[in-house]
Amino acid sequence: MLRLMTRIKDGGAPMIRLDDIVVKFGDFEALHHINVDVKEGEFFTFLGPSGCGKTTTLRTITGFIDPVGGTVHMGDRDITHVAIEKRNIGIVFQSYALFPTMTVYDNIAFGLKIKHLKKPEIDQKVRSIARKVDLSDEQLEKAVSQLSGGQQQRVAIARALVTEPIIICMDEPLSNLDAKLRVQLRNELKKMQQEFGITTIYVTHDQEEALTLSDRIAVFNKGYIEQIGTPNEVYNHSRTEFVANFIGDINRLEGQLVENMRLDPSLHHFIRLERLRVNRDPDPGEYQCKGVIESREYYGLYIKYYIRVADQTLKVIEKNDGINLYETGETVTIGIHPDDLMSYSAE
Amino acid sequence: MQAIKKKSGPDWSLVYKVFGGALFVYLFLGFMVVPCLNTLTSIFTATNSAGETDPFAVIRFFFAGNMPSFVLNSLKLAVFLMVTVNVVGISIVLLTEYFDIKGAKILRLGYMTTLIYSGVALVTGYQFLYDSNGMLTTWLSGMFPGMNKQWFSGFSAVLFTMTFACTSNHALFLRNAIRSIDYNTVEAARNLGARPFKVLFRVVMPTLLPTLFSLTVMTFITGLCAMSAPTLLGYNSINPEIVRLAGSSSADEAFPQARAALLSVILALFTIVLLTVLNHYERKGHYLSVSKTKAKLVKQKIQNPVANVLAHIYAYVLFIIYMTPVVMIVLFSFQNYPAIRSKALNMGDWTLINYFGQKDYEYLTSRGVTRVRKGSISGVFANTDTVGGIRLSFLMSALAAALACVIVVIAVNYIFKHRNKKRALVVESCLLFPWLLPTILICYSFRIFFNNEIWYVFGQNLYWRENVQFLIIMAYTVVKLPFALRMIKAAFYAIDDELEDAARNLGASQLVTFLRVKLPIVLPSVLSVFALNFNALFTEYDMSATFHSSYGKTYAMVIQNMCNEEGREGYNVNASGRRCASTVFIMVVSGLILYLVYGVGARDLGERLNHRAKWKARWAKLTGKGKKAEAA
Repeated sequence: MLRLMTRIKDGGAPMIRLDDIVVKFGDFEALHHINVDVKEGEFFTFLGPSGCGKTTTLRTITGFIDPVGGTVHMGDRDITHVAIEKRNIGIVFQSYALFPTMTVYDNIAFGLKIKHLKKPEIDQKVRSIARKVDLSDEQLEKAVSQLSGGQQQRVAIARALVTEPIIICMDEPLSNLDAKLRVQLRNELKKMQQEFGITTIYVTHDQEEALTLSDRIAVFNKGYIEQIGTPNEVYNHSRTEFVANFIGDINRLEGQLVENMRLDPSLHHFIRLERLRVNRDPDPGEYQCKGVIESREYYGLYIKYYIRVADQTLKVIEKNDGINLYETGETVTIGIHPDDLMSYSAE
Repeated sequence: MQAIKKKSGPDWSLVYKVFGGALFVYLFLGFMVVPCLNTLTSIFTATNSAGETDPFAVIRFFFAGNMPSFVLNSLKLAVFLMVTVNVVGISIVLLTEYFDIKGAKILRLGYMTTLIYSGVALVTGYQFLYDSNGMLTTWLSGMFPGMNKQWFSGFSAVLFTMTFACTSNHALFLRNAIRSIDYNTVEAARNLGARPFKVLFRVVMPTLLPTLFSLTVMTFITGLCAMSAPTLLGYNSINPEIVRLAGSSSADEAFPQARAALLSVILALFTIVLLTVLNHYERKGHYLSVSKTKAKLVKQKIQNPVANVLAHIYAYVLFIIYMTPVVMIVLFSFQNYPAIRSKALNMGDWTLINYFGQKDYEYLTSRGVTRVRKGSISGVFANTDTVGGIRLSFLMSALAAALACVIVVIAVNYIFKHRNKKRALVVESCLLFPWLLPTILICYSFRIFFNNEIWYVFGQNLYWRENVQFLIIMAYTVVKLPFALRMIKAAFYAIDDELEDAARNLGASQLVTFLRVKLPIVLPSVLSVFALNFNALFTEYDMSATFHSSYGKTYAMVIQNMCNEEGREGYNVNASGRRCASTVFIMVVSGLILYLVYGVGARDLGERLNHRAKWKARWAKLTGKGKKAEAA
C-alpha cells in the first residue's frame, strides 16, 4: 500500500530543498544558483522553454547530475551526493523508458525485485498499483510495445509509484501523446496525485499544463528561476517581462497609447488579452479609446480580434456567446484599467 | 556523473579495469600486431645463399621472376568480377524488386540460395555439374560433340562460379536500398513525363549509387582475396600461391616464406587503399531520402511486350543457373554411388547411405576376383573423417564466434560508457584493425610466427600438433571482431539513455542494469552476430587451408579432400555422394541459422508473445482442451 500523506500546502514541511544549486557542463553553466523549496504533498511544476534548465534541475534532484555547487535536501537529510538508487525518488521519463524486453508486469515489478522482496509480496503490490492506474490483469501480461501511448504512460507511473517513493518526478510525461489524450491524461494525473497524496515535481514547457495541474510553478529561463508562485500569481502578477510573455498571450502597450494613458515611458507595459474591455460602460479610473477591427480568428469557444488602436494593433479575446460579435472595419471602444497593467523596467 | 561512495576493502572495479585493460593490450599486441609485424619484417630480413641478410632480395626476386603474374591474375579476376557480379547482382535485384516479373517470390528464393551455401560447398557443387566429366558438360557435349569439355577450368571457371557466388551481398543490401526508395519520387518523375526506363536510370539508380559503390569495392576485394574457387578450379592468383609458398621449404625454392609474406603484404596494401577510399566516400554522405512520408515501391510493369518477354526469359535463365546446382546436389545426395559416378539420375533407386550408415564395397578385379572392401561406403554421419571435420569445425566456430561476441559486448559497453573520449576511440580502432588486413595475411602470420616457441604464450609452439586448433580459434576470433563490432555497436545505439537512468533510479546497480536491462535489449543482435559468424566459420575454407595442418582439418577441408578422393576405385567409394550430402547438410544448417536470425530473432517481445499465444491456441484446438474450456 502506498503511504498516504497529509497534504499540507502553505507552510507545510519542506520535502525537497535546493540551495544555491550550480550545474556545469564543461565550461557551460547550465544552472545558476537555483533555490527551490517543494512542500510535502505539493504538485510543483518547473516550467520554461527548452534548454532553460528545468530538466537539469530535475535530474539534479534524482541524482543523475552532480551539481558543482549547492545542496539538495530531502527533509532534513542532505542527499546531494547520495547514490541515485538510494534516494527513493520515483521518476517518469519523457520517453517512459519502459524496458522493451520485459512484460508490463516485469516492468512494474523491476524495482521490487531489485529490493529482493518476496514473490507473493511483489505480486500483491504490482496488482494493487496496476488496479489503481487502471491496468487490467490481461494488460500486465502483455509486452510494452503492445500497449497504446496512454497505457504505456500508466505503466511508467505504476513502475515509479510501486516502490513507494517519497517524491515522484515527471519529465514532460504527456509530450509524447496526441492533443486529446494529453488533456484526458492530464486530468487523470491530477486525480491520481490527489489520491496518492504524493509530492510531485513536474517538468513541462506547456504553460496550460502547468497552470491546470500545479499548486505552485517555478518559471525557468536560461538557467535562472524567474518566478515561483501559484498559477494565479504567475499568470496575473508575472514578476518579470519574460514570465509575462512566456505564460499566456499578452499585449504590449506602445507609443501613443502609453502617452495618452500617461504611463511611465521608461517602463514596458503589458495587458492580458481578456483584460481589455470592448464596447463596455467605463469602470471608474478606466481609460477608453476608439479602435477599428482589423481581422478576427475564430476559435469556437472564443474569438480573437485584432483591433487597430492609435499606432498599434491590440489582440482581444471575446467569449463566443453570440453577443460580442464584431465585423472587420467596425469601430469599437476599448477600455483599459490601469490595475490590469503589468509594468517592467526596460532592460 | 554519479556520487562517489567511499567503501572499505579492495576496489573491485579498479581491479577489473586494470585486469581487463592488461588482457586487452596482451591480446591486441600478441595476436594482432606482433605476428603481422613479423610477417612484414620477414620480407626485409631474408637471407641469401651466402647466409647474408639482404633487405631487398625478395623485392628483386619479385620483379625478376613470375610473381607479378599472380598479382596481375588476381587483379584481372577482381576487375572482371566487378563487372560481372554487378551485372548479375543488379539484375537479380531489379528483376525481383523493381520490375513486375511473374513468379518473383520463387525467383528471389533461387537467387538467394548463395546465402545458404558458399565457399567450398558451392565451388564443388559447380564442379559437380560443369567440370570435364560433370553432369551438364557431359550432357552438353552429347548435344554438341565438338564442344570443349575442359571449358570449366582456370580463369573462366573461377569467373563463372564467383559471378554467381558473390551476389549474396547484392541480394541483401541492394535489395534493402531499392526497397527504401520513396515511390512518390518515381510517381513524380512519371508525372513529369519520364518513361519507365528513364525513371530507372535517372531517379532510381542514382539513389542506389552509394550502395552500389560499396558493393563494388567489396566485390573487388573479394576477387583479389579469392581462395576456394582458384584453388579448386586451378587459377594462379595470389592466395593459393601464398598457401603453396607457406608450405614450401627453402630447399626447393628461394625464400618461399618471405615471398609469401610479400604477396600477403601486397594484398594488404590493396585492401587498405580500397577500404580507405570506401570509408572516405561513405563519410562524404549519402543521398538520403528527404521525404517524411515514404510511399512503398510499386513494381513497374514493362510495357513493351518484347522487352517484357526478354526480361522474363533472362530472369528464369538466371534462376536455372542458380538453382540447378542446388537441385542436383540435393537429388544426388540421395543417389547410390553408381548413379553419382555416371552422373545420371536413377529414379528407381534412392538411398540415405550418403547421410547415414556404412556399407561394404564389392568389386571385381581385373583378374576376375570379387573383392570386398569393408566399410568403404559411408555416410556423412558415419564417416570418421567427415564427422571429425564437422565436430572440429563446430567446436572451433562456436568457440570463436562466442569469444568474438563476448569481447565485443564488453568492449562496446566500455566504448559507450566513455564515448567522446580518446580511450573509447582507441579500443574501437584496435577491434577494427583486422578489417584492414586480408584474412590470409592474419592466418599466414599466425602460422609462421607461432610455429616457434613464443615466450608470451608460455613458451609454447602454437602451430605444433593439436595446439593449432587454439591458433585457428584465435584467428577466427580476430577475423570476426570487426563485423561483430559494427553490428553490436549499432545495437547499443538502440538503447535509450533514459532506460539506464530508469533502472538506476529503481535501485539497480551498474552491473544489474547491464545484465537485466541493456544486455536483454542487445541480446537478439548479439545472438544474430554469433549465429552469422558461426555460419561463416563452420564452412570456411580459406583460413584453415592457410593453416594447412592435419590437426586442424576443418569440415571444408574434409569436403575438399572428398574431391581428391573421387575416382579412386575402391577407396571412399561414395566420396562424391557424401560431398553432396555434406552440402545439403550445410544448406540445412545455414538455412536454419538464417531463419533463427532473421525470422525468430527479429521478433520483439510483443511479437513473440503473440506467436506463443497463437501456438497455444492451436495446441488447445488440437488436443480439444479449447472445446472443453469453452464448454466449461
